[in-house]
Amino acid sequence: MDPKVRNSAETKQSGSALVTAVSCHDIFDLSAHQTDYNPLPKGAAFSFISAVQAVNQRLVKHNENETLQFEVILLGKDCEEQIKSKIFDSAKHYGLKIGKFYFCSRGEFVRTLQANSVKLFLSTDRDDVYGALQAGVPAALLCQQADQQVQDQLKVLFSGDLIGLSEDFIDCLKDFGFSAVQIQNFKAAKGCIREFAALIGEMRKRFGCEDSPLHTILITVLGSRDVCATALKTLRGWGLDVDEAFCLAGAPRNPILTTIQPHILWDDGLHNMKGVSPLMGMSS
Amino acid sequence: MNLNHQHTTSKGDTYCLEAMKTREHSTPTKKPTSPKPENAITIAVSSRVLFNMDLEQQIFEQKGMEEYLKYQIDHETELFKPGPAFPFIKALEAVNAQLRDLYPESEELFDVVLMTNNHAHVGIRLINSINHYKLFIERFCMTGGNSPIGYLKAYHTNLYLSADSVKVREAIEEGIAAATMFSSEKVTQVSETQLRVAFDGDAVLFSDESERIYKTQGLDKFFEHEKAHENKPLDHGPLKGFLEVLGKLQRKFYAKGHRMDCPIRTYLVTARSAASSGSRALKTLRAWGLETDEALFLAGAPKGPMLAKIKPHIFFDDQMFHIEGAAELGTVAAHVPYGIAQKLPPKKTKDAKETDSPPK
Repeated sequence: MDPKVRNSAETKQSGSALVTAVSCHDIFDLSAHQTDYNPLPKGAAFSFISAVQAVNQRLVKHNENETLQFEVILLGKDCEEQIKSKIFDSAKHYGLKIGKFYFCSRGEFVRTLQANSVKLFLSTDRDDVYGALQAGVPAALLCQQADQQVQDQLKVLFSGDLIGLSEDFIDCLKDFGFSAVQIQNFKAAKGCIREFAALIGEMRKRFGCEDSPLHTILITVLGSRDVCATALKTLRGWGLDVDEAFCLAGAPRNPILTTIQPHILWDDGLHNMKGVSPLMGMSS
Repeated sequence: MNLNHQHTTSKGDTYCLEAMKTREHSTPTKKPTSPKPENAITIAVSSRVLFNMDLEQQIFEQKGMEEYLKYQIDHETELFKPGPAFPFIKALEAVNAQLRDLYPESEELFDVVLMTNNHAHVGIRLINSINHYKLFIERFCMTGGNSPIGYLKAYHTNLYLSADSVKVREAIEEGIAAATMFSSEKVTQVSETQLRVAFDGDAVLFSDESERIYKTQGLDKFFEHEKAHENKPLDHGPLKGFLEVLGKLQRKFYAKGHRMDCPIRTYLVTARSAASSGSRALKTLRAWGLETDEALFLAGAPKGPMLAKIKPHIFFDDQMFHIEGAAELGTVAAHVPYGIAQKLPPKKTKDAKETDSPPK
């Protein structure tokens, strides 16, 4: 069964567009009483869309024929008919430049992502994100902004000790209690973020060092400084030179995240794996 | 899981996961764990005080950011030379080694964090240099131009050292002990086993309340005021907390019998005079439950020669006049931009031995 697709008049058919799928539930508040309103109230991650559009505007300003832009598509899981119309109308009301709307059932959403060359799926729901990652779809957490204030930079953060570890070392992780399945997942997560990193890297290069509407960030949580250095070099090799880098070496991650306030958080999940053996008790 | 740290084999050997990386290492390498920020005494240093980046700074100022970053990347494998905070950092590590010997389970150690405004492009060059000098700096924040204040707080920073006085001022306003450091031509050799920290009194350990009186009402009024309030403790200044944590560590050494040869030594170097105004300073410290190993009351004499004898790894003062005087004779001096001295022009006297010379 094909998902229902609505194309808006602004669909861009572009090979190198950064197709980013976002869940409706994150952009609009679809909780119980909120759906009475039209337009729908803004959701937890609404400011993300504004930040993305600001980047696109700057890209086009530099080069009006720019094809490497964010192309946002909206994904709705199990939405009732009248909600679908409200979503469509609300997007128009807020002036959101959304190319496509996909409405599907819960069970189909991963397949929907896979079928549509999505370069990145974003959601505030951790389970959705890991579900997508496990199916090989590049996915990252969409972060709730503290104040809903519009930041003047779109911040993309890679929390990636895995990026700083070689394939051989990841294999060795079985000696530290990780299962073969978990190791496979690590490798899959690392593999599928590469393309997104390369695209973001290329997009970042369109702007200068200062005054960029796009900021890229690397954090390593558990690894030593050498793991962080390797991660920096690996990202560089993939085409991404990050603006900011943090090596926590076991320090808690949340206070740093609260200060950074990223919009997009790609997390390799290494430091919060459940069911690992006792010696790996580091909290994030 | 702790990727860089201890894993115990069945034989009881410990080795770090990092060593596992190449699988070629049959001998275990021991790398100490970084303490949790809430337990540690966190010292945040900027890249320009850890290493000498004068040339690169010049390129940035004259040719702009793009050229600066390009230069850094082109010279990525070239080592930086040590900067003004380098000997201080090395001394912190020496203290840590001794603390670990005496208290192997404790996390009350110095933790040095690299806190730089620099772009992550410079990261690899910085890490290469840190590796070369075998510095124990595992944590860093390269903020790519954003303010470090939020990160300083996230790390429960006890002391922030930077070459940028604007950021230092911001940190002080947020209640974080901080000081500006400068490159210097002449630097004397300092101890590699005993950490020595010297503090000015007013507007560093103490508030600037008394200094205000001197600056606005003159020396006589200052003496009068100090005498009248001799038994009233002064309010605290920005570096009081740092002296406090040093004292805490010193007591750990005393508890294990290392009173005479304690690897940490503190000094009060004040222009107050022993005969009069100095009394209030000592009583204040006592009221706080703090002490310094030595208290030097210079009664207005220049601080440079005394500091040259003490050879501290770092000397904190709120007046540039004293910072410069110290640096001229080879002492690493850090400026605390706090209090009234920052707002009024400095009062310099030629002959500081006269009785009507300024208290600082």
